[in-house]
Amino acid sequence: MQLKNTLTRYGVVAQLFHWVIVALIITQFVLAKWADGLSPVKKIGILATHKSVGITILLLAVLRLTWRLFNPAPQLPAGTPRWQELAAHVSHFLLYALLFIQPVLGWLMSSARAFSVSWWGLVTLPDFIEPNKAAFERLRDWHEAIAYTLAAIALIHIAAALKHHFFDRDDVLRRMLPS
Amino acid sequence: MRIHQQLRYLLVLVLVCGSVALAATQWTLQPKESKLTFVGTQAGAEFQGVFERFTADLKFDPQDLAGSRFDVKIDMASVNTHDSERDDTIKSDDLFAAKLYPSARYVADRFTVKGSTYTGTGKLTIRNVTRDVPIEFTFEKKNGSAWLKGSAQLKRLDFGVGQGDWKDTEQVANAVKVNFVLLLKP
Repeated sequence: MQLKNTLTRYGVVAQLFHWVIVALIITQFVLAKWADGLSPVKKIGILATHKSVGITILLLAVLRLTWRLFNPAPQLPAGTPRWQELAAHVSHFLLYALLFIQPVLGWLMSSARAFSVSWWGLVTLPDFIEPNKAAFERLRDWHEAIAYTLAAIALIHIAAALKHHFFDRDDVLRRMLPS
Repeated sequence: MRIHQQLRYLLVLVLVCGSVALAATQWTLQPKESKLTFVGTQAGAEFQGVFERFTADLKFDPQDLAGSRFDVKIDMASVNTHDSERDDTIKSDDLFAAKLYPSARYVADRFTVKGSTYTGTGKLTIRNVTRDVPIEFTFEKKNGSAWLKGSAQLKRLDFGVGQGDWKDTEQVANAVKVNFVLLLKP
């Protein structure tokens, strides 16, 4: 078991970060959709979990990026066309950026609505903006738009990984899976 | 005859002074500077609410606690938690039921003091349910007016604030803290 990345494979730590965050993001979509049709009390509970998971993703994103700084990603397969290389970098950059942007938007959106965020009931996060209905509505629209953007980029990311695996028959997908 | 009249004046004077000393000062609430707020806990995080409208009939004198009395009426529909949707929910039948029970009332008539902190024993009525709720406060006179600042702890379910789903205390805590800062003028 290799903890750190090598030139050709992601290590266990990077893989864990990747797949745990994937699972948490899927959870977020499920919770957000589920909360929509619920009675107020149940909605409060589901959204509280959604917020706690979101802040967990933010923390994991910080740790993940820090890990990556000291632990560069494996190289792309030799002979990858320039445009694909660029596309890979841009989409990875965007995915990372959204891991930070989306939780922060959710956090601000809660503050704007005068619902402070509690992280699993352990810590209450500070409110960086005052309650304001117009700001809340704008932040909610952004939060929703970012969610769909994230889903769209993730789909491209998945399509690319599958293309590498089934068409190019290289190890781009396999290197993010346990050996 | 003259002495008789002087005695009468003296008697009147004594009676007037005596009654002034006996009756605790009647204060007038200054609504603009005064605040009645509460802190609830929702999904693990505290939130604050304000009652925009309330009236208070306050007789209070540190020298005459026995003659002191608070009578406060709170307009339940004036609740403001900085989220109109939450306000509507709080005013609805399962919580304040503000249409059916438009006002809450607090009456305290027994007071004790320890250092500079007063304790009042009183009865709070919300949704027609009356329970004993003690309050703690300080009373500071300044340039003829006075600041009355204090708080109370209560449990919302003691008053039936939380029917049906809202009986659950996992998402909305039972404990609620009430704070007040009142500016009074004689």
